[in-house]
Amino acid sequence: MFARNMFKPDGFRNTYADGQAVGFQFDCKVQYYRGITLSIVRDIKVEVDGVEYPRENIRFSIKGETFTLDEMRTVIDHELRWEFGKWATVIVLKEGGLEQGKHHIKSTQIIAPSYMPHILEHAGDYDFEIA
Amino acid sequence: MNYNIKRSVSLYSYQEEYYLGKLDLEGCIREAAKAGATGIELLAEQMMPNFPYVTPEFKEQWFGWMDKYGTEPTCYDAFLENKIYDNRTLTLREQVRMMERDIKIAGELGFKTLRTLCSTPMDVIKGSLDCAAKEDVKICIEVHSPFSLNSGWADGYMDMILGTGTKHFGFMPDFGIFCKKIPDVLTAKALRQGASPECVKIVNDAFANRVEKGFTKIKYDTNLGRAHGEYVKANGMPELMEAIEKAGGNAADMNYARASFNYTWCDPQDIIDNIQYIYHTHAKCYNTNAEYEETSIPLKEVIAAYKKAGYTGYLSTEYEGNSLLNDAFEVDSIEQVRRHQEAMRRAIED
Repeated sequence: MFARNMFKPDGFRNTYADGQAVGFQFDCKVQYYRGITLSIVRDIKVEVDGVEYPRENIRFSIKGETFTLDEMRTVIDHELRWEFGKWATVIVLKEGGLEQGKHHIKSTQIIAPSYMPHILEHAGDYDFEIA
Repeated sequence: MNYNIKRSVSLYSYQEEYYLGKLDLEGCIREAAKAGATGIELLAEQMMPNFPYVTPEFKEQWFGWMDKYGTEPTCYDAFLENKIYDNRTLTLREQVRMMERDIKIAGELGFKTLRTLCSTPMDVIKGSLDCAAKEDVKICIEVHSPFSLNSGWADGYMDMILGTGTKHFGFMPDFGIFCKKIPDVLTAKALRQGASPECVKIVNDAFANRVEKGFTKIKYDTNLGRAHGEYVKANGMPELMEAIEKAGGNAADMNYARASFNYTWCDPQDIIDNIQYIYHTHAKCYNTNAEYEETSIPLKEVIAAYKKAGYTGYLSTEYEGNSLLNDAFEVDSIEQVRRHQEAMRRAIED
């Protein structure tokens, strides 16, 4: 779709709670040509430096609300649509976050628009640095 | 002779720039007007803030832009998200309500037609006809390749039109049904991804052969997957895949061979035969060169049929070449739309 421009270059960082790094996060855009209701997102996969993180560790955050991927399946509120061309944040729970330095990410969005006979799967790659 | 064929731009054409934040909705309308279009087609789900609610502020802004740029709304592209819950399909009543919601948005924003997809169940269309009449919005089923007019598939809808006598349902051809060649930008992408020139030639020759002897048309079937399966089989997909395999084709060769069945050549006479039921047109384009030729679609030949038929609706540029370029190149949708509008202007006025 738009894999070359899927990630926000300055959106990569560790996620902190009470001063502790509890994971890492990045901002990305929907890999589809219109905005979507969150319930049609079937999966978001994240692989960093060849390590794939379990689905249970992924959180999706948009307009101040954060959901697990299972919770996302029931989110139909129009104010929480993932609008075309707009950033949303993916958080990956990982104790201690990522080490400082260079990393490589591959993230795959699996989306099921009603009219398509098949489910869409679009991945993008990016090199980033944790300061 | 003076032809009353009007030109529109579907803002879908500018999706690359919109996605990248280079154009906002007003910027897209401005560019369409600059390219010479007087009509604007919108995918509300792509660019309208607060979808599916039309705020008074947005409505005022929308009509303000139409005045400012000398344009009018043409077609509203609806989607019908009938699998919004992943454990069930919406009931018929729920789907009709969703369709009516879109018809009302279209009416409120001044659109005269509403695009519905071939996946929309017939009963949902029938159930929405009263609302369409009330809003005076014509629901048009998109005749998107590999579907076609004068086919078993189209007959299914024609029977409904004649049976109900409705004036608020018809067809909206997409120029992807008038591809005489596979888009050159698709071929270039396949080669970039590792397809071999030998296999590309096999695929291109097979396509040329289909164009020459005529495509076998698709049937009407409530099971679209089955209809599509029969269609590609009847048009020689198994034989082509076998030839690619024999030639030692790789994954990129296979993908290119399969993708070639997304494009169709129909006789433009189909437009003339069905003109009284055609209310809007997606003038799909993939690559318009500096000489103002769409490199896969013979615009003059196709538009000649619209002229002969006395069409008075809009031809709406729908540029879709971005996804065939953006893995490797910057996309310039603004220039592609400009060229395509000029190419259509010449074909209409010549």
